[in-house]
Amino acid sequence: MSTESGATGVKRRDFLKILGVTTAATAATGCSTDHVRKLIPYVANPDNTVAGVSNYFSSTCRECATSCGILVETRDGRAIKIEGNPNAELNRGALCAKGQSALQGLYNPDRFRQPMARKNGQLTPITWDEAMQTLATKLGEVRSKGQANSAVFINQHEIGSFPAFLDSWLNDYGMPPHISYDADAPSSAIAANKAAYGVAWPALDFDAASLIVSFGADFLDGWGPSTPLQLAWADARAKIEGAPRAIYIGARRSLTGLNADSWIACKPGAELAIIQFLRGTKSVAEAAAAADVSVATLEGLKKEITEAKRSLLLAGGTGVDSAQVAVEVSEYNKGLGNVGITIKPASPLGIYERLDPTVAVYNVADRMNAGAVPVLFVRGANPVHTLPRSVKFAEGMAKVGFKVSFTNVPDETTELADLILPDHHSLESWGDAEPTANTLHLQQPAMEPVFNSRATADVLIEAAKKDTTLASKYAMTDYRSWLVARFPGGQTAQTLALAKGVATASSLRAAERATGDFTRKPVAGFTGTGDFHLVINSSPTLGTGAGANKPWLMELPDPVSKIAWQSWVEMHPMACKKLGLVRGDLVTIETTAGKVTLPVYNYLGIRPDTIAVSLGLGHKSQTGKTFDTDGDRKIPYYTGYGRYADGVGINAVTLVSGDIDAVSGGIAYTSMKAKVTKTGENTDLITTEGSARQHSRGIGQATTLAALVAGRTAKDGEHGATAPAEHGAAAAEGGHDLGPKEWGGNEHEFVGGAPSDFLPGLKSPVANDAQGALGTQDSKAKGMYSEQHWSGMAKRRWAMTIDLSRCTGCSACVTACYSENNIPTVGASWQGRALSPTVWDTRPGANIIKGREMAWIRLERYFEGADDSENIFDPGFDTRFVPMMCQHCGNAPCEPVCPVYATYHSPDGLNVQVYNRCVGTRYCSNNCPYKVRYYNWFGYGEPGRRQYAFPEPMQMQLNPDVTVRGKGVMEKCTFCVQRIREAETRADLEHRPLQGDEFTTACAQACPSKAITFGDAADPAWTVAKQVEDERAYHVFEVLNTYTAVVYLKKINHTVEA
Amino acid sequence: MATTAKPVVGKIKRPNIPSAGIQVPGVSTFEQVDDEILATLKPSPKWFIGLGIAICAMLVGASAWTFQIYWGLGNAGYVPPVMWGVYIITFVFWVGIGHAGTLISAILYLFRAGFRTTIYRASEAMTVFAVMTAGLFPIIHIGRPWKFFWLIPYPNWRLLFPQFKSPLLWDVFAISTYLTISTTFLYLGLIPDFAVMRDKETNPIRKRIFAMLSLGWKNTDREWRHFAKMYMFLAAFSTPLVLSVHSVVSFDFAMALTPGWHTTIFPPYFVGGAIFSGFAMVWTILIPIRKWWNLEHYVTLNHLDATAKVVLFTSIMVGCGYMSEFFIAWFSGVAPEQEYFWNRVFGQWWWSAWILLLCNMIFPLSLFSQKLRRNPTWLWILSIIINIGMWYERFVIVVPSLSHEFEPWQWTNYVPSWIDMCFLVGSFGWFFMWFLLFIKQMPVIAIAEVKEIVPPKMKNDHGGHH
Repeated sequence: MSTESGATGVKRRDFLKILGVTTAATAATGCSTDHVRKLIPYVANPDNTVAGVSNYFSSTCRECATSCGILVETRDGRAIKIEGNPNAELNRGALCAKGQSALQGLYNPDRFRQPMARKNGQLTPITWDEAMQTLATKLGEVRSKGQANSAVFINQHEIGSFPAFLDSWLNDYGMPPHISYDADAPSSAIAANKAAYGVAWPALDFDAASLIVSFGADFLDGWGPSTPLQLAWADARAKIEGAPRAIYIGARRSLTGLNADSWIACKPGAELAIIQFLRGTKSVAEAAAAADVSVATLEGLKKEITEAKRSLLLAGGTGVDSAQVAVEVSEYNKGLGNVGITIKPASPLGIYERLDPTVAVYNVADRMNAGAVPVLFVRGANPVHTLPRSVKFAEGMAKVGFKVSFTNVPDETTELADLILPDHHSLESWGDAEPTANTLHLQQPAMEPVFNSRATADVLIEAAKKDTTLASKYAMTDYRSWLVARFPGGQTAQTLALAKGVATASSLRAAERATGDFTRKPVAGFTGTGDFHLVINSSPTLGTGAGANKPWLMELPDPVSKIAWQSWVEMHPMACKKLGLVRGDLVTIETTAGKVTLPVYNYLGIRPDTIAVSLGLGHKSQTGKTFDTDGDRKIPYYTGYGRYADGVGINAVTLVSGDIDAVSGGIAYTSMKAKVTKTGENTDLITTEGSARQHSRGIGQATTLAALVAGRTAKDGEHGATAPAEHGAAAAEGGHDLGPKEWGGNEHEFVGGAPSDFLPGLKSPVANDAQGALGTQDSKAKGMYSEQHWSGMAKRRWAMTIDLSRCTGCSACVTACYSENNIPTVGASWQGRALSPTVWDTRPGANIIKGREMAWIRLERYFEGADDSENIFDPGFDTRFVPMMCQHCGNAPCEPVCPVYATYHSPDGLNVQVYNRCVGTRYCSNNCPYKVRYYNWFGYGEPGRRQYAFPEPMQMQLNPDVTVRGKGVMEKCTFCVQRIREAETRADLEHRPLQGDEFTTACAQACPSKAITFGDAADPAWTVAKQVEDERAYHVFEVLNTYTAVVYLKKINHTVEA
Repeated sequence: MATTAKPVVGKIKRPNIPSAGIQVPGVSTFEQVDDEILATLKPSPKWFIGLGIAICAMLVGASAWTFQIYWGLGNAGYVPPVMWGVYIITFVFWVGIGHAGTLISAILYLFRAGFRTTIYRASEAMTVFAVMTAGLFPIIHIGRPWKFFWLIPYPNWRLLFPQFKSPLLWDVFAISTYLTISTTFLYLGLIPDFAVMRDKETNPIRKRIFAMLSLGWKNTDREWRHFAKMYMFLAAFSTPLVLSVHSVVSFDFAMALTPGWHTTIFPPYFVGGAIFSGFAMVWTILIPIRKWWNLEHYVTLNHLDATAKVVLFTSIMVGCGYMSEFFIAWFSGVAPEQEYFWNRVFGQWWWSAWILLLCNMIFPLSLFSQKLRRNPTWLWILSIIINIGMWYERFVIVVPSLSHEFEPWQWTNYVPSWIDMCFLVGSFGWFFMWFLLFIKQMPVIAIAEVKEIVPPKMKNDHGGHH
C-alpha cells in the first residue's frame, strides 16, 4: 500500500483511508442518474469531517517549477478542486489552468496502479516488495562494479528540498548529481540573468514600468513564472492612468504579443539586430533591413524607450542566438537604469534554481549511445518525447543496462524503462518549495493515494535502509519526517504552518551543478532551405507535452488560435493566398530534421514569411497499447502518454535539427527553415472560433485613455454625454475600431427604447420581481423570501464585472469552471458521434468540430483591424479577449420560451436552469443572444455510454455540490449557485448577514489577472456594486433589453500618444 | 354539394370554368359511383408493394429512434448553436402539409367550391396522417422524450405547470386541437360512406364493423338534416383552426429574438406556405391514385386546374412573404438582421435559399399556362418540386438563422447526418403507411358527396339532366 505514515500523522491519514473506502462507492456514483446505490451515513463522523462540507488542505503546485501555493478542496477524503492559496504572496489565490488540472494527473485513468517490471520484454505488474528488492539489487550491482559514477538521474525540474535530498542520496551511492530537466524553461533569459544579475530569475516589476518591451518574451504564455507574472501585468495595466504601454517584438504574435499594444513584426532571428541598433552598435538601416521593418518603426521604438520614464525590456525567444539577445537586452536594461527598479535581482524567484540546460541531457544521450551509462533513473521528465530526434535519446536508452522510471503515468520514456516505481502524485505527497527567498511553500498530501504508488523520496530512503553502509544515515522513518525534522520549530511549527501553507523558512538548497559541456557546434542563422522561417513555440496550456494527458488542458482551446485536440500550422493569410490555401487545408512542412502534415490556420499575427507550430502534442507509443487486468475487469493500460494524448496531433520537436543556443545550452527551437507544400486535402480545424471578427457588434469594446479622459470632461460639462462622442474621439485619433459604430454600443441610433444614459442595467422594468432591492416596493413583496428574512435573499442581485483591461485571455477561468461545475470534456477519441449505426467517429475532437464543447465560460478572441489581411500585412491589429458566460439577464430571452419552466428567474436575480425539469427542447439556446447554453448531446455523465467523460477514477474529482448532467439536458453557467447557497447557509448558521466579497465564483477565484469580480450589485458592501458603475462599463447587446448581470469594462489601448 | 351550374359538355379548347361549376360528367349513375369507388378498396399487388416499402421506411425511422434514445441526440447533425435541425424542419413541413386537407374540406365547403367534392376525402385523410407524423417530431426532437408529458398541463402534487408563455406549449395545444378536429371531421364525412360499405359488404365480420362505424346510418331525411348541420358546424369550427395552427407554429420562430425569426410577417406567410405545400402534397397523392385506380373521371382535369390556381396564388403569396422579409431587413437598419439576410442569400447558405426561391417562386409560375395546369404529369413533377422547396423553406428559416446570430464567435455551419435522414425517410414511411392502409379501408373519394352532384336516375329519365 501507500507510504508508511509518521507516528504523529497517522490519525488523520488513517481516517482518510477509511473514509475513502467507505465512501468510494457512494460519492462517485451518486451523482449520475443511473446506478444510484445506498448512501450509508456515519454513525460517528471522523474528526474534522462533516459529510457535505469541504476540508481544505494547503499545499504547493508542482505542475511547473513556479511552485504556487494552492488550496486543495477535499470532500469526504477526496480532492475535488485546486485553488490558489490566498496566503501565498506569490500567486495571491490565483492559479493557472495547468495548476488546476493537476487533479486530472491525480485521477488520471492511465496512471500506473502498481510497480511494474519488464519481464520477457513485457512490462508486468509486480509488488512493491519485489520492486524494492530489484532496485536494491541493481543499486548494489552498480556500486560493486564501480559504475556508480556513470549513473544518470534525470528529474523533471522542480525546486524545494527534494533536488538537494536527491543529490545527497545520489552522492551517498557514489553517483553524480541529478540532471534537472525542463525543455520548456526560457533558457536564453535564464542564461542572461545569470550573466547579468547573478541570479536565474530576478523579480520583474511591471508596475514600476511605464513601457514594457518584449523581445519574444512570452510572459503570458509560460515564459517564466506565469501566474505571478500575469498578476503583475494585470495589476500594472489596470491602473489605466500611468499603466505601462507594451510593445512586442517577434515574428509571431503570441498571447503576450496579442496583449501588447503594438507589435513590431521583425524577421525571426532579427531581434539581435534590433537590440544592437538600440544599443547603438548597429545602424538603423542595417537593423531595419535585417528585421524587415521600417526605419521609422525602429526609430519610434528607440524614441519611446529613451523617452519612457521607466522601462522594462524582456527577452525570450528560442533561436540559436536568443541568449545573446537576452544578454544584450540585460546590458541595455542596465544602461537604462532599470535594474533595481523594474528588474529586481535582489529579490530573485526560485523557479529556475538548480535547472540544468537541456544540453546536459544531450550529453547524457551521447554517453548512453556510447554505452557509457549503466543505469538511468528518470522521474517525471520525458526526454524521449521532448528532445529533438537527432539527440537519439530513445536509441541511447536501448543501450543502457538498467532503466528505472519513477514517473507515475505512462509516457514515451517510461515505457522504455525496465523498472517502474510509480511516484505519488504531488497531491499525495509531502514536500516543500522556496519560490521566493525565505518563503517556504509547504506541500502536503490532500488525500490518500489513489493507487498503489510510493513517494520517490520514500523509495530512496527505503532503498538506502536496505544498504548496510547507508542504513544509519537514513534512519528517518520517511521523507516527511525528514522534512519535519529540518523545519524550524519541528513538528508543532510545521503543523501550524501547514494550516497556512506558507512559512518563513528555506528549503534545502542543492548546489548548482557545473554543466555546460557545450560540445555540439552551434550554428548561426537558420538551418535548411525553404520559403518559410519556422517558429516553434511551447503551448501555453500543454507546455512541451506534459499537459496532453489531461483532458481539461486538451479541451482548452489554445488562447491564440482557439484550436484544441489538434496540431496546426499558423500561416499569414497573405502566405495562404500565395499558396492557394484556405483554412484547414493540409500542408506538409518539411525541414532538414523531419516532415509533418498539418492543417493551416490562417492567423493575422504572424509574418507572411514565417510559419508557426506549437509543441505539446504528438504523443505516440513506440510499443503500442497493451491491456492490464484489474480483478475481473479489463482495463486498457496505455503506453505512450495515455488515452487522451494518444494519436493527437504531431510533435513539433521532430522538425528541429537539435541545434542548441551556444550561450544558454537550450534547444534552439526557432532555427529552421521549412518548405510548405500543399497536399490538396482539407480537414476540419478543431476550433471554437466562429467568426474572429465582431462585425461592429460591440462585444469586446475598447477605448483609449485619451478618449476616456475626454469622456469624463464631457460628462462634467454636460450631463449624460454619450458614448458615440468617445468612440468618435478615439477613431479620430487614428486608433482602430475602438468601439462599435453601428450596432451594439451605440444605443442612440437604435430604435427600440434603450436607455439614453448608461445604466448598470440591473434595473429591469420587466423582471421587476427578480430585482430585489433594485425593484419596486411592490415587487419586493412578491419575492420568495420575506424582506425580514435575514439572509436577505430577495434583496440581492448577483452580478459580475469583467475588466477587459485586465483579461489576458489565458483561459484559467475556463478550467476552473470545468473543475467546479463537473463539466464534461467531449473531445476524446471515443466520445465522437455515430457515423452510421455501427461506425463511430474516432477522430479526437470530433465533437468540437461539431461545436459541442461544453465550456460554460468561453474566451472569445476578436481581432479588430488588419481588414485586408490577404493582401496587406498589417501588424497593427488589436485583439479583444472576452470571457463570455451566461449573462444572467434580468429580462432573459431564454426564460419565457421554455415550455416546462426548466429555466426561470430566481428571486435573487439568477437565471436558473433546473436540470431535472429540462426536457431538452433547446429553445432557450435558440433564443439566447449570447449563445451560452450548452446541451448534453450524449450521456457524458452516464457511465456505460461510450461518451462518458469521467472514466475511473476521474469520477472521484466530481464536485458533489453540482449535479452531473445526463443526456438530453441543457446546462449553462449558474454563477456558481452552489457557492452562493453555501455562503448563504453558512451566514444563516452563524446568524449574520452575508458580508461583502465573502465568497466568489470559481472563475473569479482562479483568474490570474483578477479580471472577474462577482458579488451582489444591490449591496454596496460588495466591490462589484461599485464596479458596475465604472465609466468603462457596458453591457453586451444592450439594445436587446436583456438587462444582463454581467457588466464588461472596456479594454484600454495604450496608444503612443497616451 | 349539389349545384345548379351546368356541367360542361364537349371539348372546349380553353375551358374557363368557375370552380363552383366543376362537375364529373364521366359519372352517370349511383351504382357506377359505388362500384368504381369501392373498387379502390380491393388490395392489389401494387398496393402490397407500396405498403411494404412504406413500412420498411417507417422501420428505418423507428430503429433510428431507438438508437437515438439510447445514445442521445448527438448523432444528429446539430452544430450548436444550431440547436434545431432536420427534426423541427420536418415537423413544420408536415404540419404545413396538414393544412390543405382542412382548408379543402372545411373552407372550400363553406365557399361552395365545386372542385372540392372529389378531392376532399383524400386530402382530409392526408391532413390527419400528416399531423400524426408532424406530432411525432417534437418528441423525437427533444432530449428526453420520455418526459414529453411534462408539456401537458396535468395536476400534480408538485404544483408544476407548464410555462404558458412558451410558444412550444402553444404548439402542443394548437396541434392536438387540430388533430382532434380534423379526425372528427374526417370521420363525420365518412359515416354515410361507411353505410354504403356496410350495405355492399358480404363478409359478416367486416359488415359488423362497418355497421358500427356507420353508427347505424339509415339514410333518412332526418339523419341527413342533422348530418348537414353538424358538417356545416364542424366546417365553421375548423376554419379558424386552419389559420391558427400554422400561425402558432410560426410563433415558435416569430416570438424569438433570433435574426430572421423575429418578424411579424411569419403567421400569414406560414399559413400561405402551408396551403401551398398542402395542395402540392394533394397532387403528389391524388395524381397517381386517379391514374392507378381509374378515377380520372372523378378527379378531372378541371379539378386539377382549379387546385393549380390555388397553388399559383399561394406561391405568389409566399413569394411576397420572402420579398417583404428582405425589404424589412433592409428597412429596419438592424445590422445583425441585414447581415443575416445577406448571408442567407449570398453567403454561406446561398444554395438553400436559391433552392427555396426557385422551387417556390419560379417553377410555380409555370401554372400561368393553362396547358401546364391541365397536365397531370407536370403537376406531379411540380408537386415534388414544391415539396422540396417547402422543406427548404423551413430549412432556410431554421438553420441559417441559428447559424448566424448576434454572437459572431458562435457562427457556424450545419450538415444533417445519416440519422436525420433516417427520420426524414421514416416520416414518409409512417405517413404513407397510414395513407395506404387508409385507402384500402375507406373510400378515398367521398361516395355520398359524389352522388350529390351526379344526376339522380329518374324513373323515366332518358339520359337528360335535371
